[in-house]
Amino acid sequence: MTDPDDPKPDGGTASRSERESPEFEDHPLEWDEPENNDLEPDERASVSRPAQKDDDPKLVTGQAKYTADYEQRFPDLAHAAVVRSEIPHGYVTDVDASAAEGMDAVHAVLTPWSEETPDAKYTSAGQSYPEPSPWDMNVLNDHVRYVGDPIAAVAADDAETARTAADSIEVEYEEDDYVLDPEEAYSEDAPRLFDDDEVENEIVGHDYSRNRMSRIDGEIGDVDDALERDDVHVHETEWETIRQSHAQIEPHTSLAYTDEDDRHVLVTSTQVPNHTRRQLAHLFDIPIRDIRVSKPRVGGGFGGKQAMVVEPIPLALSLAADRPVIYEATREEEFHAMRSRHPMNVRARTAVTEDGSIEAIDLYALSNTGAYGSHGMTVAGNVGSKPMPLYSKVPNARFEADIVHTNTPQTGAMRGYGAPQGTLALEGHLDEVARDLDLDPVEFRQRHYMEVGDLDEIAGMMGGEGAERRIRSCGLDECIERGKEAIGWDALEQPDEEHRHRGIGMALSAQGTGVAGDELGAAQLMMNEDGSFHLHVGGVDIGTGADTAFIQIAAEVLGCEETDIVIKSSDTDVTPFDYGAYASSTTYISGMAVKKAAEDAKGRILYWGSKLLEEPESNLDTGDGTVYSEETGASVSLEEIGYEAAYGHDEREHILGKGTHCTEESPPPFAAQFADVTVDEETGEFDVNKLVVAVDCGVAINPGMAEGQVEGANHMSYEMAVCEGITFDDEGRAEVTSFDEYDWPTAAETPTIESILVETHEPTGPFGAKSVAEVPTNTVPPALSNAIREAVGVRITDMPITAAKIKSALEADD
Amino acid sequence: MHIDCTINGNERTFEVSKTDLLLDVLRRDGYTGAKRGCDTGACGMCAVQIDGEPAMSCVTPVVKVDGATIETIEGLGTQDDLHPVQQAFVDNSALQCGFCIPGMIMRSKALLEENPSPSEAEVREALSDNLCRCTGYKKIVEAVLDASERMADRGVAADGGRSSDRGDDCRCAGATGKTGPDSRGETRR
Repeated sequence: MTDPDDPKPDGGTASRSERESPEFEDHPLEWDEPENNDLEPDERASVSRPAQKDDDPKLVTGQAKYTADYEQRFPDLAHAAVVRSEIPHGYVTDVDASAAEGMDAVHAVLTPWSEETPDAKYTSAGQSYPEPSPWDMNVLNDHVRYVGDPIAAVAADDAETARTAADSIEVEYEEDDYVLDPEEAYSEDAPRLFDDDEVENEIVGHDYSRNRMSRIDGEIGDVDDALERDDVHVHETEWETIRQSHAQIEPHTSLAYTDEDDRHVLVTSTQVPNHTRRQLAHLFDIPIRDIRVSKPRVGGGFGGKQAMVVEPIPLALSLAADRPVIYEATREEEFHAMRSRHPMNVRARTAVTEDGSIEAIDLYALSNTGAYGSHGMTVAGNVGSKPMPLYSKVPNARFEADIVHTNTPQTGAMRGYGAPQGTLALEGHLDEVARDLDLDPVEFRQRHYMEVGDLDEIAGMMGGEGAERRIRSCGLDECIERGKEAIGWDALEQPDEEHRHRGIGMALSAQGTGVAGDELGAAQLMMNEDGSFHLHVGGVDIGTGADTAFIQIAAEVLGCEETDIVIKSSDTDVTPFDYGAYASSTTYISGMAVKKAAEDAKGRILYWGSKLLEEPESNLDTGDGTVYSEETGASVSLEEIGYEAAYGHDEREHILGKGTHCTEESPPPFAAQFADVTVDEETGEFDVNKLVVAVDCGVAINPGMAEGQVEGANHMSYEMAVCEGITFDDEGRAEVTSFDEYDWPTAAETPTIESILVETHEPTGPFGAKSVAEVPTNTVPPALSNAIREAVGVRITDMPITAAKIKSALEADD
Repeated sequence: MHIDCTINGNERTFEVSKTDLLLDVLRRDGYTGAKRGCDTGACGMCAVQIDGEPAMSCVTPVVKVDGATIETIEGLGTQDDLHPVQQAFVDNSALQCGFCIPGMIMRSKALLEENPSPSEAEVREALSDNLCRCTGYKKIVEAVLDASERMADRGVAADGGRSSDRGDDCRCAGATGKTGPDSRGETRR
């Protein structure tokens, strides 16, 4: 299996797949990479250097503008408030809005039956077209399916008046039976949420007679055969995850108006401007060209804004009221009426030989998609397709998922996108198997995990085109080695007290970088006569620093200072097309588009440099704000070139560059997580002493920003392990309506998080980059469960991990 | 009714209603640096200083600031001349989306005025009323500790960081620089 004489360029040491295998031609290991893509650290002028984040000076001085900050610019702005269902399931039989309509300061009131209310079915999921989510909802609903479903909307002079008017609206219902538990919902006897004719764009495996919006499955090899073999142990464990809130600090906020050029403009806090434009065109039957979606600074998204959650309401109200309307969700609405992570039950089974060879992995997920199906099928698919390929050497693998509706609030995309649920099950399960077989959990994993050269068939087993892939960069070994050292793996000291025990748990993770075969990013670059540049990118910076990464990529190509590049991103009237900020794609896809645009412009810059220096272009390169000759040392500044190109005597040109990037590739980043915990066996109370996460993200375009992504993701992952998430009362009413009730770890409650960037070189990415922001979101729940198992011998499988659960498990163990 | 107060050193008079909250009044008047995160005083996005003390403006009745001195993020440094706390946040990569940052910086400034040399635990405790969803807090805590050192080095803590020589060496040390809905498209999103 391992050929030590076949070392891989970035430290990988073995390959399962033979180079001459037929698949090799489709997925070559050697990637046709441009020469300038693989820069040694000392050759980099801008990339992987600690450049200051472009918008930081504005952000720290309070000058950066988020959607709500645009209020000042519209003196006749009206504010929206929404009437939401107070019952979990039923039909709205009457809406009496007469009181609201009679108020002086109220400008529009919409009900499900108003002329201005769009009546088309749609999905809020902000995905590519055709959308892999069912069209199962309306902007305002008369068939309501959860406490919080929007029924009516009001626009008034100010937010308080709008709320007062909304509260005056009386809604009459015909109540229906409801179901909150996914297992109960997935039975023929359960109350039905949908009739077949209430859904368009139905998704594979739908069975609304059992509240199932989708069923998916995929297999390589023969799992059943492997599970029945005489020489294997079959292990089975079950896991449960929380309903996590995005809790992005800036609420969903959207401002709509129609401008003097009859453009319907949305200034909105979104991750997906182009998808939003397309969806609004569908809903309102307005040509795409007549809608403009502009994204200002965004106060966090984490997938919650990979959805068209609020935009249709201010647009409908602004059309009805003939004035600008802003809708800013309240914090309470954020928790009960926006989006959340799909809670899941995941069963893991493996067939393992006595000596620790994994012959089969079998994962099954029951996903609770809530009242509507946004991102339901695709998130569930990632429960298998992200973590399972980590063990690419396992010959038989299967994943199945049922995605069911309940009368609970809507779920959607969230950072990690199914991988956290799958990673908990798989990494917790493998740890338990290693313990059963008395094997070292790290070595057990290392026997089966990915290495450079592997053909990852598991990633493609569920049929996504182009999902099968060749692994060309993998830093798992180094992630483990450096993580072990940082956590003190080999020198763990136990507490003095006999009832307190310390243990370290670890977990691995893989994600993707963009969606294989289903992404598009584009960029344009214009040179000014003073040698500076305007970079227009469809890519969406939602606070990650993507704009800065784009600038660094362009500056590296152009050989200029980052400050010589002015960026404009995410305004559909101005910037090129982009699928949006999701799937860890931004730096990889949109960044590559930027690189191509800069290369395109650089070609023209060298042409002009050649004219001015009277040397062939082949001698020339850009650097330090100049075009210089490697032969003669002569140089000409970009400023001189800019003026010459714009004002030359014999020839003139506006130097422009364009770049578009699509790819079938989705290289995985990797992470190794370590959690150091001390548990009191008398009380079950535990202290997380430290979290260490080492991440292979290829080349980090901006190391400081990349570390920030890793630490923030790990904090969110820690929350998944120790926080209750959004809970409900018996009628499906969210019990969490405020930050205090959500109770996620504050600065004082957060353990030390150490992030380690392990550099590899991914030849398909811009300057070797892969993704970084999602993979560390997956790993703390299994690592912490494994650490507690190590410390006191009990296994917690349902999140969150609490002292009460540990105590109870310890008592049951006695 | 009207109230008089001093905002960032300027004497101001506002026409307000008795039920107005300070955050609404500030934002209406263009001080949009303070952000609306929760309206319950639970997240710290709207933190300002009132008579030197940190306060959540979203739960502060505006009538309570009649005659008071208010400092907002707009009164700290400018983009070309950052306050040491602001500069430390920039140099430590301590911000991502930035929505929490004005409140976080105002809270940090108040902490450092009260306790110029806080321990890491004291910083974490002081910032526990200010939520951040992006950073995991690590770099924020490092930034505040860094700011503490910068302010001690320059002796500017007492004047709130208004001395003129700050920021000139801070520009980032070291910087140089297909499947359709009817198919099994599980890898899409």
